[in-house]
Amino acid sequence: MLASIDWLKKYVDINVTPEELAEKLTRVGLEVESVNYLGAGLEGVVTGKVTQIERHPNSDHLWICMMDYGSGEIVQILTGAQNVHQNDIVPVAVVGSQLPSGMKLKKAKMRGLDSFGMLCSAEELGIDAKLLLPEQRNGIFILPPDTPIGVDIKKILGLDDVVLDIDLTANRGDCTNIIGLAREAAAVLGTEFRMPDMSVQETAGGNAAEMAKVDVQAADLCSRFAVRILKNIKIGQSPEWMQKHLRACGMRPISNVVDVTNYVMLELGQPMHAYDYDRVSGHTLIVRRAAEGEKLVTLDNQERSLDSSMITIADTEHAVGLGGVMGGLETEVTVDTVNVMLEAATFNGPSIRRTSKALGLRSEASGRFERGVDTVLTHNALNRAAHLLEQMGACETVCGIVEAYPTEAQPAVVKVNPSAINTRIGVEIETGEMISILQKLQFEVHEEGEDLIVTAPSWRYDVTCDADISEEIARMHSYDKIASHMPALPLVQGRQDVIEDVRDSVEDYLASVGLSEVMTYSFIHPCSFDKLELPADDERRRFIEVMNPISDEFKVMRTTLVPSILSTVAYNLARQSESVKIFEVGRTYLPKALPLTEFPVEKRVLCAAMSGKRNVLNWTEGKDNVDFYDMKGVVEGLLSKLQVTDYKLILATQPYLHPGKSCAIEYQGELIGYFGEVHPTVAANFELSSETYVLELAIEPLVAAAVKVPKYKHLPKFPGTSRDIAVVVPLEVSMRELEGVIRANAGELLADVKVFDVYTGKQVAGGCKSMAFNLTFQAGDRTLTDTEIDTVIKNVVDKVGEEYKAKLRA
Amino acid sequence: MREELQALKEQALAELGAVTTPDELKDLRIKYLGKKGPMTEILRGMGALPAEERPKIGQIVNEVKSALETAINAKTEVLEAESLKARLANEKVDITLPGRTQNCGHLHPVTLTLREIKKIFMRMGFDVMEGPEIESDYYNFEALNLPQDHPARDMQDTFYITEKFLLRTQTSPVQARTMQACEPDTPIRMIAPGTVYRNDYDATHSPMFHQVEGLVLGENISLADLKGTLETFCKEMFGGSVEIRLRPSYFPFTEPSAEVDISCVICGGKGCRVCKNSGWLEILGSGMVHPNVLRMSGYDPDKINGYAFGMGVERIAMLKYGIDDLRLFFENDLRFIRQFK
Repeated sequence: MLASIDWLKKYVDINVTPEELAEKLTRVGLEVESVNYLGAGLEGVVTGKVTQIERHPNSDHLWICMMDYGSGEIVQILTGAQNVHQNDIVPVAVVGSQLPSGMKLKKAKMRGLDSFGMLCSAEELGIDAKLLLPEQRNGIFILPPDTPIGVDIKKILGLDDVVLDIDLTANRGDCTNIIGLAREAAAVLGTEFRMPDMSVQETAGGNAAEMAKVDVQAADLCSRFAVRILKNIKIGQSPEWMQKHLRACGMRPISNVVDVTNYVMLELGQPMHAYDYDRVSGHTLIVRRAAEGEKLVTLDNQERSLDSSMITIADTEHAVGLGGVMGGLETEVTVDTVNVMLEAATFNGPSIRRTSKALGLRSEASGRFERGVDTVLTHNALNRAAHLLEQMGACETVCGIVEAYPTEAQPAVVKVNPSAINTRIGVEIETGEMISILQKLQFEVHEEGEDLIVTAPSWRYDVTCDADISEEIARMHSYDKIASHMPALPLVQGRQDVIEDVRDSVEDYLASVGLSEVMTYSFIHPCSFDKLELPADDERRRFIEVMNPISDEFKVMRTTLVPSILSTVAYNLARQSESVKIFEVGRTYLPKALPLTEFPVEKRVLCAAMSGKRNVLNWTEGKDNVDFYDMKGVVEGLLSKLQVTDYKLILATQPYLHPGKSCAIEYQGELIGYFGEVHPTVAANFELSSETYVLELAIEPLVAAAVKVPKYKHLPKFPGTSRDIAVVVPLEVSMRELEGVIRANAGELLADVKVFDVYTGKQVAGGCKSMAFNLTFQAGDRTLTDTEIDTVIKNVVDKVGEEYKAKLRA
Repeated sequence: MREELQALKEQALAELGAVTTPDELKDLRIKYLGKKGPMTEILRGMGALPAEERPKIGQIVNEVKSALETAINAKTEVLEAESLKARLANEKVDITLPGRTQNCGHLHPVTLTLREIKKIFMRMGFDVMEGPEIESDYYNFEALNLPQDHPARDMQDTFYITEKFLLRTQTSPVQARTMQACEPDTPIRMIAPGTVYRNDYDATHSPMFHQVEGLVLGENISLADLKGTLETFCKEMFGGSVEIRLRPSYFPFTEPSAEVDISCVICGGKGCRVCKNSGWLEILGSGMVHPNVLRMSGYDPDKINGYAFGMGVERIAMLKYGIDDLRLFFENDLRFIRQFK
């Protein structure tokens, strides 16, 4: 809401600076976002009259103007504009004046002739072209012929005004207008508040009730509908003082009748509409629900298709307007209009909101109805508008108001207890002060024993309960006077769910081994599943879709984190990151049924990826790229940290993974995750410039193990012995298989087996590999002898040899 | 013989003085104290001496032997010290070469900020609650006193899934869920951190961001308690010199409502570009829980009341770390993320 201070001053005495007023209003809940000086940067520009004008002898577009701007002499000023004529009154930037662009006027020479200043266009004065009549937008700003000369242009065009830009909260529908803000300002400043002049002459005589009828057939959508009739309308421009205020509050002046309806809306908060009386069939306005598919051409020349939730104003033949949203083109007031039906009505906010949303028509009027409009305003607005038009000599008003007001609105009466209010706010305000605050805001207050019976003024329809009254008292008393206090609550320790603890451990572990955390959007592009090469019947293609996404990129609630993580890897590789190691713990959204009829499952999932160099470039480190075993190491380390031990890695893969370099993690009979190298096709789809390894792992199944308290085991009392063996086996024999054979044949003394070398090459036969194991033996009751160990080792070697025809390697 | 021994000692000590290497020292030791050395010879020749002389000479021999050993040992230590010194003088590393670091990863600044917020409130006895991100219209709006077609729904552009389901626009629905999961009128002290969504995307808005909601319900809880709690939070988060102020505002689920400003953490309240010269920064919305909200979730507003607040995590992270562009949080450029420790 833009509020002109000049306009406010008509109704309230303002004895502080605009900044102070802004601060005071902000501190009572009317947040002033900015204080705008309309004429900022404009200095010394005055009105001047063109006493003589002739063509520049050396130019085909320049004109020589002899200007009188009240300085006592006639000054020569050259202009390139083509719309200036003798006797026009125009803004003159004289030598030494300054324009909002920062330009300082100096004497200039143009094609050999001196120019002592400049004639100004609206734009040069810093006026927004949108707020001007079309004829005022181009060329020099021609002022009305009765404009006095030698006067500061800021005064003439209202550029000496200061405008407050107020960010109104949704509950303060009463402050969408100058009067509402003036009332608040008066309460805050403790100064006098005045209502505007709403007296009507009714010189046309007659009786409106005999000339027009109104009928509210949808009382649930319109609680009051009132009309005045104005005769012998003289359409013209509205006076400059009115245009000034309209412009200051961001509205473009159009013509006197339209301007007055807008002016009254900005001043009182009541949206209005003017109909051409002679074009309204039966001179009757009916408020009803639109018929399904009923058509109406609105003022903006668009044909609208209506439905039965929309409030329609109709004459005896068809729809002539959309109540509270926009009027119809057919009954619009034009230059030919002679008589006007002026409407002020109270429409149902939610209905207006739905209609304007459905038609994409948000207007100043609809916005006000959505927040609610005081029912009492209909008469005030009609009278104020008639008064203004009469003052301009633009109409004669017919006697009386025709209206339908089925159920009179009742003010809210709230019983409050002052001590309960003090408890709620945490202050000690005397009852007398509470009464005085409420009275300043024009609430009526009666004491009833310890309680107060408070009647809200008609415009404070937002006040309905004691909590609302306590806010009125708190904000006027000042929030600054509320002392800080800690609530008297029992001393307890705050807790979070264990899964959050586990998530924290996962994040901390991954960061400790060099992975950085990323945060990607929960919504992804529908093509992500194609990029992952998922088959058509893949479960992850059953996704939840956003109905009104910003774009396709943000359309699908993800069922896997892999696409987002791969995109993030690609993003960083493209930014010359030599080593990308990232992870995210996020949710996937898995529908139980589609379309959604119940809450979906939101599953916590870890996704990690590694690509590029294993190590940051360093003289002590190798320069290899990450491989499968880097990712496997992360998985093993993480699961070990979470005390998950009895899991299995099995050969089961994912369409987006390399079939030979990937596996699934099986835990407690469930596949809880997958990892491996990204399939080359998928890597190409995501434009990954380097081999990338990715992991996806569900978090929930790990929680039970992760929260276990580790149990201490006694340290061995006797030293262990270790032996190394190397065996040559066919390539396809896996380490796990070989280890199984070793364990099965090494007996109870074997404490640990570690593989420390895998070799293929010249030293071993083709199709074979050498694997070196370190075996640790340990007994709880004695120190082992070499003979004992030798026997065991021999047995192991023999059995491995039998199983694989393996050779013990020297 | 005495003179002989004395001369031997002096000669040995003189030679010892000239020794410069461990090898020479070894030779010297063998020469004088070895099995074929003069001392052994003298001892062997003692048989020829009169009986009463033997112990005396024997004593002198031992004295000389022991003096030589002491001197040789002392020399050994000196030589060893010299040789260590010489070795150390030759062993030098280039201390300017980089070390072998385990390169740690980094947590996202939003996670770091969220963890800090949670830590502060948990120390004050707040439990941490979670709720679904795909929420019902009922919990996201209606149970928070925002009926259908309420103009305040415009404050939050909503992503809808169906008529009934939406992406939560705020973490406030966890308030209603927590209340409804409790026995009526049970005191509550909780925060609800989480991801929220709004249909707004430009330089200063992200369609996804994070909030932390807070709710305290009990007997005789006041706006002054709200102020005290949030003041404690802000001082913990931004430092003890930070001040807060409350400004009347409007949220459908609280009444009275307040915006909370902190004194500008950039300029200390003097006025700068970040605080638009006001000296204050808006950081969270709050208020006393609206009686309708309590009633709808089974609480009796005449017995139990309390306060609620909500803050944007990215906003707090931006102020805390001096980040000037919201979009950085979701671009995931590692050069950005690696800056946070």
